[in-house]
Amino acid sequence: MTAPSRTGPQPSADDPRVMLDRDIGVFEPVPPYPPRTEREAEFYTLGDGQMLLNMGPQHPSTHGVLRVVLKLDGEKVVDLDPVLGYLHRGVEKLCENADYHQVISQVDPLEYISSLFCEWSPVIAFEKLLDVDVPRRAEYIRVLSGELNRIASHALFMGWFALDLGGLTPILWSFIERDEIVEMLAALTGQRMLFNYFRIGGVNGDLNHEFMSRLGDWMSRATKQIESNLTLLNQNEIFVRRARGLGVIDTAGALRMCMTGPNLRATGVPFDVRRAHPYSVYPELDFDVPTRTEGDSLARYLLRMEEIKQSIRIIDQCLHQMPDGPIMAKLPRLLRPRPGRAYAAIEGPRGQYSTYAISDGTDQPFRMRIHDPSFIHLQSVGVLMQNNLIADTMAIMASLDPVMGGVDK
Amino acid sequence: MSLIPGFGMVRGMALTLRRFFEPKATIRYPEVKADIPPKFRGRLQLLYDEYGTLKCETCFQCAQACPIECIDMGGMDTKGRFHVHWGPPETYGERREESALRRSGRPVPDPAYTHFEGLDIRALDGILESFDHDPAHMLPILEATQAAYGYLPVAALKHISQVTGAWYATIYGTASFYGHLRFEPPSQAEQAAAMAARRPADADFMAGLGASLAGRPGGDA
Amino acid sequence: MTAIARTWGRLTLPGKVVFTLVPILAALTVGLIAVIAIFGGAIWDILLANLGIVRFVIAVTIILLVTIPIAFLNIYLEMKVIALMNLRVGPDRVGPWGSLLSVVHGLKVLMKEDFTPTGADAVVFTWAPVVTYGAAVMTVLVLPFAPGLIAQDFNIGLLYFFAVGGMGVVGLLMAGWASFNKYSLLGGLRSAAQIISYEIPLTLSVVGLLILAGTMSLNGIVEQQSGWFTDWFVFRQPLGFLIFFIAATAEGNRTPFDLTEADSEIVAGFATEYSGMRFGFFFFAEYVNVFILSALAVVLFFGGWNAPFPFPAISIPIDLAAIGLPLLFLIALVPPIATLIFAAPFYLMRSSMRWWVALIVGFVLFNVVAGGLVFAWAFVSFDWVAGLVWFLAKTFGFVFVFVWMRGTLPRVRIDQLMGFAWKWLLPAALLNLFVTAAAVVVVGS
Repeated sequence: MTAPSRTGPQPSADDPRVMLDRDIGVFEPVPPYPPRTEREAEFYTLGDGQMLLNMGPQHPSTHGVLRVVLKLDGEKVVDLDPVLGYLHRGVEKLCENADYHQVISQVDPLEYISSLFCEWSPVIAFEKLLDVDVPRRAEYIRVLSGELNRIASHALFMGWFALDLGGLTPILWSFIERDEIVEMLAALTGQRMLFNYFRIGGVNGDLNHEFMSRLGDWMSRATKQIESNLTLLNQNEIFVRRARGLGVIDTAGALRMCMTGPNLRATGVPFDVRRAHPYSVYPELDFDVPTRTEGDSLARYLLRMEEIKQSIRIIDQCLHQMPDGPIMAKLPRLLRPRPGRAYAAIEGPRGQYSTYAISDGTDQPFRMRIHDPSFIHLQSVGVLMQNNLIADTMAIMASLDPVMGGVDK
Repeated sequence: MSLIPGFGMVRGMALTLRRFFEPKATIRYPEVKADIPPKFRGRLQLLYDEYGTLKCETCFQCAQACPIECIDMGGMDTKGRFHVHWGPPETYGERREESALRRSGRPVPDPAYTHFEGLDIRALDGILESFDHDPAHMLPILEATQAAYGYLPVAALKHISQVTGAWYATIYGTASFYGHLRFEPPSQAEQAAAMAARRPADADFMAGLGASLAGRPGGDA
Repeated sequence: MTAIARTWGRLTLPGKVVFTLVPILAALTVGLIAVIAIFGGAIWDILLANLGIVRFVIAVTIILLVTIPIAFLNIYLEMKVIALMNLRVGPDRVGPWGSLLSVVHGLKVLMKEDFTPTGADAVVFTWAPVVTYGAAVMTVLVLPFAPGLIAQDFNIGLLYFFAVGGMGVVGLLMAGWASFNKYSLLGGLRSAAQIISYEIPLTLSVVGLLILAGTMSLNGIVEQQSGWFTDWFVFRQPLGFLIFFIAATAEGNRTPFDLTEADSEIVAGFATEYSGMRFGFFFFAEYVNVFILSALAVVLFFGGWNAPFPFPAISIPIDLAAIGLPLLFLIALVPPIATLIFAAPFYLMRSSMRWWVALIVGFVLFNVVAGGLVFAWAFVSFDWVAGLVWFLAKTFGFVFVFVWMRGTLPRVRIDQLMGFAWKWLLPAALLNLFVTAAAVVVVGS
């Protein structure tokens, strides 16, 4: 489809009084500059019968503000070019100009679906820099709230994935689940979304009655409710037929693409940071690392649903083993770690979420590098999506579960 | 997937039909308000102590600790109390507190902090000499300075602080306490009004008064 | 003169409009009465001579007017039912249980800006919703709502239905092409591919039924299903009904086959660039389509306006003239007395209730009861009232099923959709046709 060729100023079709010096009604996805790389030149050269299609940044189903330029042959996606950066905040730089306590609230909105995990890895890194021992009760509270947040994130994933496959109902059911957890965490942390709860050396506030009563209420019916929600999708022929064999990646490919988390485990690699490089009190807890071998969207979906059950198991154990004691280590108000460097990785709902921090002895980190799994997973989109249909682009994207706040940082 | 094709869909349909009759999760907002946990900190608000006075001491620690600068100090309310406001400060018309402005790097519209002009301090040195550089006589010193310069320039206050050893804040506090001391030169209208008020007085009397007071504190130089 | 000018100047804009229109309307009315008085007999003769045309024009007008409340009702059902299935409350602010929200939606659509995007083919762009809506409305012409309540009883009614209904895709294709938007183009082409593919199993699925019925007139098909509900064609053509239902879902662009407006894939398909009432026409056409496909399913397979069992003929002869003069007293006295009777228990039982609130409650109750009684009397006394009630009840049952499916099922992919039509539905429809034909031959011989 090409624009009708016109020369000189033309009256706009919307309003004849407005003269346009070019066709603004046509937004071609081709960038306004000459191609900078060979890849760009190749991508933006159209073959016979091909067309470019902008998907995003405003599109009903892009997850955040991601723009994908699709090269289409009919309905088939021949090639694609993700365009990032619409949500770039410069978080790493902001963190370098904030003191160690302020970093926690700066990294909070990175993965706004699961904020606690964004706080967790810098907090562990800073604790390593400061050589602090975190009280055991604080560690248990961290695990407890973190696993709740993981369930909230995975529940929302179920809804988004189904929504991208055209189902209207699961998204609302999963939002109900998520909302219960989020209200619970609001009672614990004081906020619904950007919790800002973990502190260097502990957590901000002990478990309270409100939280515990909500948690007990939810735990008594969580498994049943989630199982019931899952029957809507897991046994649905349309859903299974669409998700099976969609966006397949094998083990070697996943490792080459640096995938972690559920996306890697869906290809058969039982890599979980909680088990591979244990942190916090995870060595004391009993849980399985579910794996699947198919490596397709259905496997990724089912794996996440399995992880919800494991998370419920962990929460149960946390509640039973919760020790008494302080929730914060004794620390000065102004933190000045000795010069050094520290690396901390945790297992977020999307994969390995890690922080590399360098201290120069001042009260601000000299350098803080955040490794976000969403960004790493998004790079494999090009491999996964080729020769699929437009209908599946968003579903494949959803099955990787990226959060654009973390991708663009 | 079940053995019979389509049976899974039928089970899903049965589930949605069951949910059709189940109680709903919606909170009908204007009539029903969701209960907010006690620890919820979505809204900033100042606390009152048991005597009914604000606990806030305007120490600015909260505003300085806030990483994304969402907390800021507003102006005074009608009862002379500080209150915290939230949101972008541009939406508020109050005069912002000086330290908040200083923190944000904006110019402070208070003459005590603006860049001040240099001053011929010989007259001031004479006044200070006559009071023996004694900070206990601060009010007469300030009155004499205002009489000498027409107002209290910042440079003069700084110099007084330096010479007498009194804190600038104390001097500024003393000066700002009394209504007849002023920090800005009187405007043209004020001067005209002052001249009009003086006109009935006998010029000779004024001259004599000036002569009798010459060289003494409070004298009209 | 100046006084008139001054008065005119003081009028507001609506006042000016009214003051201009009223004399014109009065003049027109007088002229019309004069024309009727002078040429009345001649006009009447012409109308009588062309009764078919007159009947057609009146029917089309009524159907155009009727489709709008039907679409409103369908939209409300869709919003409310899906909301309840999603564990939401759904519309509940405008009108009782939010039932007037779709009317508000209609007004909103009317008031929105109606623009044509730069680069669009303005003429085709404007006419596309008209074609789609027209096709949807024209098919209602052959639907038998009740005994005698049918706009045009064609002897090729079913053929007409499929032919005119298939024209809707032309509108979608026009919209997709003229919008000058790649998403619209994809949506338009998808709709063309999908609807044309599903026309074939849709039409083939009812051929077996036609062999059994022996007529293509929808009225005739309904009349053949009278009696007990076991006489309905769904029990003689179960496979045919299944194929028909699936293909009709695809024809109406309903989930799980709503690929043409798949919002998570191609923003809104052919309607991406539409706004205002042009979008409203697509919207209405979709919901009218749901209604007419449900109605067709009811007519073909579920007995149309027939009750599920032979209704015992009760006639309540009410000869109002026989009552005579007391009728006047009855009309004057029954409403206030009944209102008082209905209000009394509320006033006596609940001491907190004001007397006028109790009166209002009593009046509403009286109206409900009286309306119910009149309706029950009409239901048993008039064939067409009962038929209309049965027909609408069955049809909205099907609409509910369509909405229910939308609330449950995800969307199929385009290749699965086409493969399903050609690999499964078409052979199944042919099988159904051959089995029916063989059965007819065997039983008939």
